[in-house]
Amino acid sequence: MRYPIFRFISSLLLALAICQPVFARPAPDFTLPTDGAPVNLQGYRGKVVYLDFWASWCIPCRNSFPWMNAMHQRHADEGLVVLAVNLDQDSQEIQRFLEKYPAHFTVAYDPEGRIAELYQLKGMPTSYLIDRQGDIVMSHVGFRQGDTAPLEKQIEQLLSQ
Amino acid sequence: MQLNNKPKQVRHSLTLATATLLGSVSAPGYGATADDWEIDSSVLYYAEDGRVSAIEPVVRARKTIGDDEFLSFRLVVDSLTGSSANGAISTTSAQTFTKPSGDATYTTSANKTPLDPSFHDTRVALNGEWEKPLQNNLKGIFGANVSKEYDYTSLGASATLAWDFNNRNTTFTTGLSYNLDTVEPVGGIPDGLTAMPTTAAVEKARLGDSDDKTVVDVLLGVTQVIGRKTLMQFNYAYGRDDGYLTDPYKILSVVTDASTSTLAGTPYLYEQRPDSRVRNALYWKTVHQFEQDVVNFSYRYYWDDWGITSHTFDARYRYELGGGHYLMPHVRYYLQDKADFYHYKLVDGDIPRYASADYRLGDLSTTTIGLKYGMELSENSEFAVRAEIMKQQSRGSGTTFPDVDAMILQLNYSFLF
Amino acid sequence: MTKLALSCLCCSLLLAGCSLQTVKPWERDILAQKKMQLDPYPNDSYLDEHIYYSKESSSGGAGVGGGGCGCN
Repeated sequence: MRYPIFRFISSLLLALAICQPVFARPAPDFTLPTDGAPVNLQGYRGKVVYLDFWASWCIPCRNSFPWMNAMHQRHADEGLVVLAVNLDQDSQEIQRFLEKYPAHFTVAYDPEGRIAELYQLKGMPTSYLIDRQGDIVMSHVGFRQGDTAPLEKQIEQLLSQ
Repeated sequence: MQLNNKPKQVRHSLTLATATLLGSVSAPGYGATADDWEIDSSVLYYAEDGRVSAIEPVVRARKTIGDDEFLSFRLVVDSLTGSSANGAISTTSAQTFTKPSGDATYTTSANKTPLDPSFHDTRVALNGEWEKPLQNNLKGIFGANVSKEYDYTSLGASATLAWDFNNRNTTFTTGLSYNLDTVEPVGGIPDGLTAMPTTAAVEKARLGDSDDKTVVDVLLGVTQVIGRKTLMQFNYAYGRDDGYLTDPYKILSVVTDASTSTLAGTPYLYEQRPDSRVRNALYWKTVHQFEQDVVNFSYRYYWDDWGITSHTFDARYRYELGGGHYLMPHVRYYLQDKADFYHYKLVDGDIPRYASADYRLGDLSTTTIGLKYGMELSENSEFAVRAEIMKQQSRGSGTTFPDVDAMILQLNYSFLF
Repeated sequence: MTKLALSCLCCSLLLAGCSLQTVKPWERDILAQKKMQLDPYPNDSYLDEHIYYSKESSSGGAGVGGGGCGCN
C-alpha cells in the first residue's frame, strides 16, 4: 500500500476484527507451577500481562514463540510480563518443543486444563492482554504473522498507562 | 479449465503463489519457522501375473507460504508395459486379432484368454493445489491438474471449501471439479459394434482420430470429531461423465449360439458404451486411536446409471512397535455388480445397442491384503515400505473370466525441511 | 440439532452406544497427530486410488478437511 497510514489503519481494523471487543473484565485468578516457583496472576498486579495458552502440538504456537521472546526482550523492563501456560498432557513433548523453540519468558503448566476451562478458551492458541489493574482488555484466538504489529501496538499502549 | 468467471484473477493469484514458492519467502517479522517444506517421495511397482506391470514414481511437495496457507505439487510418472485382456473369450482354437494400429496382428493360442500385448505407455501427471484460509472458519483449496500419455490428455481444475463449526468439532466440505479428457487412440476411434478386422489387409471402420469427454464431480461432506481419539467423515459424491466413454481397444466375441464358443462369421466387434454416465457414492470413514495404535476404516457404497453398484471395505491398523517403528496391516474387499451392458460374449443376430466385455465392468470381487512397515529415520524424516497382493475374481454363476492376480510394492521416503 | 442428528447417525452405524462429546480446543493433542488425519499417507492413497480406478468400475467418495489440531 502506498501510504503507511493506510497500512496502519487496516492493521488496526484487522486486529479489532479478530480480537474480542474491549469490554474490560477482571482476569480470573490462578496459581500454576513453573520450572521454578509457582506463579500467581494477581501477583502481577501493576504490570501488563500477556497471557498465552499453548501446547506442543499446536503448529501456530511454534510461530508465536520467537515473537513472544522479542516482546519479553523489548518490554520486560517497561513492565510487561509474558506468561505462557502450557496445556500438554505429555511432559516429554513439552521438553522436546522447548528445546527446539526456547522460551525466555515464564512458562507455567496446566496439564489438566483447569485454567483453560476457567478461561473458556475458544481455540488454540488463545492469548489475553491484562492491564495493570488486572482487567482483561483483549482476547485473541490463533496466531498469524499479520497479528503481531497491532498486538505490539496494544501492548505499548497499555504499558504507557 | 477455469472454474470461476474471472480467469485473469485466478491466474494472477496462481502466478503470485508460484513466484512466492520459487523465490525465497520470509514471513515478515520474527523469523519463519523451520519445516516450511514437506516432501513425500514414493516408487510403486505393480505387476499382474502374466499381464500388465507398471513402475510409478511419485513426488509430492508441500510448502507453507503464509499463515495456514500452503502450496503443493505432485508429479507422477507412470510407465506401463505388458498385456491386457482385450475382451474376447478363449476358444478351442487359436485366434488372430489386429493390433490397434491395424498394421499388424497378434495371435492367442487355443484355450487361452486373449491378451493384447501392445501395451507400453508412459503417462506423466502434474497436479498443483493451493490451500488458503478465506475467513475465520472457512478455508479454500484450489487445484489444477494435467496429465499426458501418448494417446490420452487430461486437463482439470477443482475448488473445495471447508467450514468449521462447533468449536471446530464439525467441518462441512463442499467441492467441485471439472476435467476435460481427450483420447487419440492408435489407429483412430473405431466405430462401435462394427467388425474388428482379423488381417492387416482390412481396415476397421473409424469415426475419426480423436474424441473427448468431460467429467464433473461434486462432493458434499461432514467431518465430525466424535471424541478426543475418534474422528469420522461422511461424504456424498456425485459425478457426471459425458462424451466418448468407450474403450477403443476392447472388443467382444460373437458366437453362433449362446451355448457354444464357436465364433460367428464376424467373430469380433468393437465395444460400445453409452455416452453419458451419472455416478453416486456414499462414503464413511472412521479414524480411532487405542493407546498408541490407530485404526482407519472406511466403507463406500457406489451406484451409477450403467447399472453398476459396488461396496468397498477398507481397513488399516497401525500397530506401533515403539521407537518410531510401526507395522500396518491392510485389508480391502471390493464387491461389484456388473454394468447393464456387460456381456461375456455376444450371440450372432442379437447385438444390443451398448455392449462391452471388459471384465472390469463385470460381476467381480477384489481382495487385497497388505502390510506396511514404517520407521522414523530422524525427527524430520521417515522411510516406509508396503507390500500387497491383490486378487480379482469373477462372481456369480455362468461363464467367468479368469482371476487376475497382482502384487504391489511401494517404497516411501518423506522428509521435512 | 446438528449434534443430535450426527450422534444418532454414528450410533446406528457403529451398532453400539457411542458418545459424541465436544472436544475442547486444548484437548486436540491426539487429533493433531499426523497418523490421526483423514489422509495420513497421501502418496499411498493416491497410488491405491489410481490402481483401483484402473482395475474396477467405481470411483470417488473420499474427501478432505476436518479433524486435526483445530488451531487458528
